[in-house]
Amino acid sequence: MTAALRLDGVSFSYGVVQVLADVSLALAPGERVALLGRNGAGKSTLVRLVTGLARPAAGTVWVGDWDTRDHSPDVLARRVGSVFQHADQQLFARTLEDDVAFGPRALGFERSDVAGRVARALDALELGAQAREHPYDLPPALRKLAALAGALALEPALLVLDEPTAGLDRALRARVTRALLERAGRAGAGGGGAALLVITHDLTFAAELLDRALVLDRGRLACDESLAGLLGAAARLETLGLLRPPVAELSTALDLPGRPIRAADAARVLARVAGGRADP
Amino acid sequence: MTRLHPFTLLAIAGALPALAWILPAPVGGLATAVVALALTLTPGASPGSTNTVTAVSPGSRPGLVVFRTALLTAAPFWLFLLLLHDLPTTIAIGLRVTTMVASFVWVVGALPPPRLVEAMVAAGWSASVAYVFAATLAAAPVLRARARRIADAQRCRGLSARGGLAHRLRALWALALPLILSALHEVDERALALETRRLVPGARRTSLSPPPDRGAERLARWGLVAACAAALGWRLR
Amino acid sequence: MTRLILERVTFRYPATEAPALEDVSLEVKGGEVVALVGSVGAGASTLLLVAGDLAPRVVGGRLEGRVSFDGDGPRAIVLPTPWTQLSGMAFTVWDEVAFGPANLGLPRDEISRQVDQAVVRLDLEALTSRDPTTLSGGELQRVIVAGILAMRPALLLLDEPTAELDPVGARTLWKLVRTLAGEGTAIVVATSELDALPAITDRVVWLERGRVAATGPAALLASDALVVANMGTTVAAVWRAAGLPAPYPLTVAHAAQRWERR
Repeated sequence: MTAALRLDGVSFSYGVVQVLADVSLALAPGERVALLGRNGAGKSTLVRLVTGLARPAAGTVWVGDWDTRDHSPDVLARRVGSVFQHADQQLFARTLEDDVAFGPRALGFERSDVAGRVARALDALELGAQAREHPYDLPPALRKLAALAGALALEPALLVLDEPTAGLDRALRARVTRALLERAGRAGAGGGGAALLVITHDLTFAAELLDRALVLDRGRLACDESLAGLLGAAARLETLGLLRPPVAELSTALDLPGRPIRAADAARVLARVAGGRADP
Repeated sequence: MTRLHPFTLLAIAGALPALAWILPAPVGGLATAVVALALTLTPGASPGSTNTVTAVSPGSRPGLVVFRTALLTAAPFWLFLLLLHDLPTTIAIGLRVTTMVASFVWVVGALPPPRLVEAMVAAGWSASVAYVFAATLAAAPVLRARARRIADAQRCRGLSARGGLAHRLRALWALALPLILSALHEVDERALALETRRLVPGARRTSLSPPPDRGAERLARWGLVAACAAALGWRLR
Repeated sequence: MTRLILERVTFRYPATEAPALEDVSLEVKGGEVVALVGSVGAGASTLLLVAGDLAPRVVGGRLEGRVSFDGDGPRAIVLPTPWTQLSGMAFTVWDEVAFGPANLGLPRDEISRQVDQAVVRLDLEALTSRDPTTLSGGELQRVIVAGILAMRPALLLLDEPTAELDPVGARTLWKLVRTLAGEGTAIVVATSELDALPAITDRVVWLERGRVAATGPAALLASDALVVANMGTTVAAVWRAAGLPAPYPLTVAHAAQRWERR
């Protein structure tokens, strides 16, 4: 099966500053991957290359079997749904539903198809009650969810998200996690669920949603391994500008077998080891 | 040009349009328009500052950018005038309008808001009044950065600017409206932020690095005012 | 000594019937860090605006109850979106940080001292000559905080101060909060980074729909009520989900201690 996303020796510079150097990676359909690294390590640039907003100086970016050099961002939107930072500023329609419908309409889907996509996206993020509201009547946190719903409504094979949980409280973060897990698990166009590439500083969120970690350090791919493996080594995390999240720390401190990084898994293991029963 | 005191720059930018309207057309308008356009070709504000005009139209040499912006902004006025008036009137009014536009565009490019605020505060103006002037000039770079971000986001949602006029207008709507809405929406927060940092009416601000004001410039400014007054007196005689 | 008192405050935004804050009482003294926790819309941001004398004075609306503030310095708030807080009147980061103190009319050498200290505290030395409009979100957030600190506030109000920061930057900021409290500043911070709180806060106030649902020391974040409402620390939540008995440990360190003893 074709990779949902592949980078072959990609390099990119802004003027004389090299932002990405010889980066190669691949995401299979349905894979859930975290893109980590310090601010300025090249993450946002990589996202721009994937969405077609920028062209690589060297190497190739493949979205499915499309070379991003051959397609403009609005065409790539058929395969890549993206949400950038501060997406709450991109809303403009009169109602939330209309804004979520903007993408599918722009891509030319039939009206009934658009309505279905919008309904599914709003449902996934539990925004049904706010569907008829004016976006700016809602708090910024819900506007961010609306922007995410817009990307979900495209039902793309690849979702690229930049800090999707910034400004969200615990409950809303959980909503986002649920919605994305469902999308990644569900079969979409081309078979297999949507692949997820998520830039995030929120390692707790990353641990709950994502399996694999790509870490950029000064434009190079410093790590490409399982997230659980990465979170196991505290010293290495710090050199990459990251801190171990609470569940991973707890697992290490209590020496829990399997070193779980997800809250539910840790609770289960803890219960088993303590001889108690986990809360259903 | 940039070493002149902000008030001098403002005085020139005010005197040129005043003289354009006071002096007899079309000679007066022509002379001032030429001077104003010549000013737009001088080097812009000091490097390292984001001046509004180069923020709005990036690329190429600052001088040309300002010149081009002035001409482009004045062009629609000429069009309207041609539709409404005969040729002599069009030329007379058009030159005056060109002077106004060119002077405004020049001063916006040559006068970075921070320098103006410092000058006003050093001269004893209330900080919040200074801010009203400066905020108008400073808005463009922020909005430009956001416009680009919004354009990127909408393009990644499938917005394409190709196609017929109706399509392009819809595209423009999808770009302009979020910009305006988000900017308007933030006005309240901006006001709160300024309040908490104590920019309030009547605030007596400490000047951090006030631009030097030379006696010769002060004389020149008053000279300009006097020249305008004299011209007015002569016209009304 | 700095003291902020809110006594039975009810606040409604303009043209809104439902109160954003209802019967809220709170006292904060110099040297204390009080954390406001609650879901989006629970009233934490509003409470900060009231404490900062921005509501209803600038925001409008109606306030019942009493708010009183006594301090040997101003009160100032850091709002959650850094880019809306830029003055727009500064060439450089240094000038941006100096904006607040300059507005206070302080003498130039005092401004210099305070700005330099704030710059060092927020790790901004490398950025002082940069144009503020070219900064990244995280750098901008640090600049805004520095600008407020340079005013030497007696009461510092922070609304989601780590939203744009990476984990290391966030840790540095929380440490700074503790340092400032040690210097006598009264601090009220609204945040959803619950796991960071035990190390830095003296008191937690849980807001639900404008009302104070519970208030207590940091250990409140491990209480059954908060954990069930998804307002507790992750460690406490995992402990509870594992079916282990209360009291739940607040931090990994506590959990390790309990684990040793079993």
